[in-house]
Amino acid sequence: MRTVKPAKLLRLHFGEGEQYRGKPLYEAIVHRCKELKIAGATVFRGLEGYGETAEIHRHHLIRKDQPIVVTIVDTEENLKRLIPEVEEMMDTGMIATSDVEYVRIENPATAAG
Amino acid sequence: MLQKGTAKKVTIFINEDTQHHLSSLCDSILTFLLHKGVSGATATRAMAGFGAHHEMHTTKIEVLTQHLPVRIEFIESAEKVDELMPTLYDMVTDGLIEVHDTQIIKVATKERPAPPLGPHTELKGKARLMRIYMGESDKWRGEPLFEAILKRLRLMDIAGATVYRGILGYGAKGHTHKSGLLPFSRDLPVMISVVDSEEKVTKAMSEIESMMQDGIIVLSDVDVVRLVHGRPAMESSNANG
Repeated sequence: MRTVKPAKLLRLHFGEGEQYRGKPLYEAIVHRCKELKIAGATVFRGLEGYGETAEIHRHHLIRKDQPIVVTIVDTEENLKRLIPEVEEMMDTGMIATSDVEYVRIENPATAAG
Repeated sequence: MLQKGTAKKVTIFINEDTQHHLSSLCDSILTFLLHKGVSGATATRAMAGFGAHHEMHTTKIEVLTQHLPVRIEFIESAEKVDELMPTLYDMVTDGLIEVHDTQIIKVATKERPAPPLGPHTELKGKARLMRIYMGESDKWRGEPLFEAILKRLRLMDIAGATVYRGILGYGAKGHTHKSGLLPFSRDLPVMISVVDSEEKVTKAMSEIESMMQDGIIVLSDVDVVRLVHGRPAMESSNANG
């Protein structure tokens, strides 16, 4: 039986060049999410974009600075735990949340093959 | 122009050498259908057969090669078939006409794109955005799951869908999706975003659910701001991206 549950979608926007303690920021954030037992996180790389510093994020030959979006879906309580942590890790960038509904799919019977 | 959905298929069985006003009946019927604006008609000559007269016609024996059966088929809407039927009934003096219900799955034309005022035009305004998360290496009956889902959405006439590949992530299955050193061994996260009316998205969701083994589907309300050629070109919402 399908259960549609209300949840929150969190999106973090920043540049690929952002670092946190010597690691790419997006890797550090995904790692932190796992530590905090957040349901899931996905990192997407954009082609081009610009943000608050009005600097165009795009692919340079030597410098990686394309825009990065991290999307996270979880309950409101879990995201409340996560947001302050992430805020501290990010220097510049944007955090956006929105209301969503989600369906978790588990069909072990539909064997792939 | 035919539309997807229910229609009528007409099959006419006649003799190759039946005459109608000094020309072949087969040609007359095809000319008539062409003038009436029927979307398409095909005449096929049989290899062998027999009809009401119970005489075998076959290409194998030269004496019997006369009066070979010809079958003319065309598909049209019920109203159009209704309009054509009296004339066809009159024309076929020796043969058989049958009509059956049929389902049109796809109407594709190469030269002309679909009419710009498609059924999605009414989508403008409130709509639903569905995001489907899965792994790049997930399969559905041997083909990549994201491709299978995209094809299914197209078959269902969903206004638009986009596949995104993530560069890093983890989720339902608990393992990290990360690109390995070898490009062909990777299992990166994949997200498909779909925009259409609530009703169509709900319908698509149940189809997709049965195709997926694992993953999540996230739904949100959006406003469609602009549509071009029946497809959403831009969407703005409180949950876009």
